[in-house]
Amino acid sequence: MKMLVIFEKSKRIRHVGHLDLMRTMQRALRRSGLPVAFSNGFNPHMLLNFAAPLSVGTSGRREIMEVPLSKEISEADFKSALSAALPSDLPCIAVRAVDDKHPAPMSMLRAAAYSIEFYENARPLIDAIPRLLARDTIMVMRKTKSGEKLCDIRPMIYDLCAVDDTHISCTLSICESATCKPELLMDALYAEAGLAERSYCLYTRMQMYGENMVPLELL
Amino acid sequence: MKELSTERLDRLLDSVLKPSRYIGGEMNAVSKPFDQAELTFAFCFPDSYEVGMSHLGIKILYDIINKQPWALCERAFMPWPDMADGLRRENLPLFSLESRQPLSRFDIIGFTLQYEMCYTNILEMLDLADIPVYSADRKDGPIIMAGGPCAYNPEPLAPFIDVFQIGDGEDMMVEAISCVRDCKAAGKSRLETLRALAGIEGIYVPAFYEASYNEDGTLASFAPTDPCAPSVVRRCVVTDLDHASYPSAFIVPYTEAIHDRIVLEIMRGCTRGCRFCQAGMLYRPVRERSVETLLRQAEELENATGYEEISLSSLSSGDYTHLTELVTALIERYKDKKVSVSLPSMRLDSIVKQSLEETQKIRKSGLTLAPEAGTQRLRDVINKGVTEDDLIRAVKDAFETGWSTVKLYFMIGLPTETEEDLAGIGVLARDVINTYFSVPKSVRAKGLRVTCSASTFVPKAFTPFQWQGQDEYDTIIKKQKDLADILHQVKGVNFNWHEPELSMLEACFARGDRRMADVLYQAWKTGCRMDAWSEYLRFDLWLDAFKACGLDPAFYANRMRGEKELLPWDFIDAGVTKAYLWCEWQRALKGETTPDCRNGCQGCGMQRFEGVCSK
Ligand code: SF4
Repeated sequence: MKMLVIFEKSKRIRHVGHLDLMRTMQRALRRSGLPVAFSNGFNPHMLLNFAAPLSVGTSGRREIMEVPLSKEISEADFKSALSAALPSDLPCIAVRAVDDKHPAPMSMLRAAAYSIEFYENARPLIDAIPRLLARDTIMVMRKTKSGEKLCDIRPMIYDLCAVDDTHISCTLSICESATCKPELLMDALYAEAGLAERSYCLYTRMQMYGENMVPLELL
Repeated sequence: MKELSTERLDRLLDSVLKPSRYIGGEMNAVSKPFDQAELTFAFCFPDSYEVGMSHLGIKILYDIINKQPWALCERAFMPWPDMADGLRRENLPLFSLESRQPLSRFDIIGFTLQYEMCYTNILEMLDLADIPVYSADRKDGPIIMAGGPCAYNPEPLAPFIDVFQIGDGEDMMVEAISCVRDCKAAGKSRLETLRALAGIEGIYVPAFYEASYNEDGTLASFAPTDPCAPSVVRRCVVTDLDHASYPSAFIVPYTEAIHDRIVLEIMRGCTRGCRFCQAGMLYRPVRERSVETLLRQAEELENATGYEEISLSSLSSGDYTHLTELVTALIERYKDKKVSVSLPSMRLDSIVKQSLEETQKIRKSGLTLAPEAGTQRLRDVINKGVTEDDLIRAVKDAFETGWSTVKLYFMIGLPTETEEDLAGIGVLARDVINTYFSVPKSVRAKGLRVTCSASTFVPKAFTPFQWQGQDEYDTIIKKQKDLADILHQVKGVNFNWHEPELSMLEACFARGDRRMADVLYQAWKTGCRMDAWSEYLRFDLWLDAFKACGLDPAFYANRMRGEKELLPWDFIDAGVTKAYLWCEWQRALKGETTPDCRNGCQGCGMQRFEGVCSK
């Protein structure tokens, strides 16, 4: 049996890097006394699977972690034991039991919705959204392992709109072959708006989706 | 007063290295409402978060203060330079991690003094907190306290710190914060509060004392100027360690601290009497915790932290009376939970083979041994009661039980050292390697790794070597080079050494007087901070600072002191008397050893403290 854990990583915890988050979760699970399965081998460890690592600084409203278990346990018992063991700034929102054959969340991930919030009015940037979306191709420089590469992110933008003057929301492709991070989209939007100076903003991943825009946690 | 703006702080945190150092909110961190506490205490560690969170003292005192229902203790660490500059640029004050309060809003700011080369960070942190660095310039705002091993020679920090705590902090801390709470409630002035504090045993308020100097620069007199201040400040001693307060939960950092694990303080103090070792003199006598208490603490901490490792801490864990029993019990209890047990700072003459075999069931880390000197003659001078046979037996045991990594620690520049002593280090290293190859291939583990580390000897206050001059810079450099040549000829040894610049500055502060405060201020003003991190050490600025203040580093570091000289820390009664230390110094020069007083009192002075030494 495996447990899908939906948790929030926001406020000050957004500054915690992915490796540190994994260690934090491992320690919380140890404290919880839950029957987590360990790997075999010389140095046994917990095999936690995260749907997608978040960049340092980005918040996540409904992040997903898969925990393999060595014993059956009810969702309610699991949730209360884990909640008690987590720091209050890192709450467990929901859990869902699935069987061992359930595909890993990462393999089903297709898209993610983000919210981008500014401390000040972002009108000039927001005004550029329709112009950007009208383009057939949006070429941006993307950092890869082998250096920088020009790529077209237009097909990776599923949705982009302003919620109000300080708040943009978007849905972007996120899968092995085509991932567009919100920072990359903002590069394109700033270029479109012709703005050299950046305004400070906070990124939050609101939801992750699988095939046909079904929330990943329900798949 | 500078205000914390969320927006500017968010932006700053998104721009610095490792922002998780500054976020707080870790598992087991306190969250008490700041405004409801009768007394607020900001525990400041003058080094990075990773270093500070590895330190046991902060865990103990944080827990003790927060156990008082009326008090609140939060933490702050020295921001990494990028963050420090960012705070200044954004006009943000240094803040506490838990509730993000500017430090200037606390009633007390307490620094722990673990290492002299963190002193510039204290000035930097005060300045970042918008607090005047000189006590005399502070009319209101927090009272600045400091404690820890370096407080035994507090003088180089005297003009900056309002109150020093000398000795074990457990009981004294509660007394001190209660006193400040009462003064605050009674609306007493800052001066009245300091006077009240000066009356507590173990507390030194430098503003109430005056120093004068002879023409040759040595101290002429040192005396209190206020009737509330005792002429001798006596160290505080926790007599019953087994019942002393210990946290049942540790804060679990998000980002990895240097030592990120459960620590059990199995005992405090060491009476082997190594003559270079300040801790061995300052923490007398030996006080042990019972196995029962330690097992209970291990269980509480394991449940509260989820740590994967338990480490035993003390000055010489091998001397703990019930070591085998404790280690066996810990391993038995935790092997199914995949928690490992490690034994650091092991004395090489007391390694119990049985414990070794037990620990390696879980994990084999490297074996660390500290012969300190290369020949028996010099080991007798420093009273390191370890023979070459002990060492070889210990590494043989280790190799036979499957260990293959050995680290050997040495010091260069010890009193009476000769070329022969340096050559002896090479001989020891070679013997360790030969011992490995004498163990049958089928038994020993593959991949022998022998590392020799040589640090520069720094004479410290309250040791028998407090009268000794440190080797001059050029001499140290030459000895390091000679030793490197010697070890180069031993196949399979790695050699590390420490930067001599840092050891020299350390020596100046370790035995400095009040005038060293001027050098400290000047160095900080011209940009020195994070001196313990080699990438930030600006030795040139330090030398300039000495010059600007008209002081000679050699006066503090390299000068031999005489028996009659008034030493800047003589007004502190650390337990061990000056007469005993002088006697030990004379014995050292004659190469005479002094046995561990566990087998018979040597009359070091601790017998004057009630209920401390039963002998
Ligand atoms: S007074 Fe005697 S027994 Fe106590 S620490 Fe000193 S030498 Fe040892």
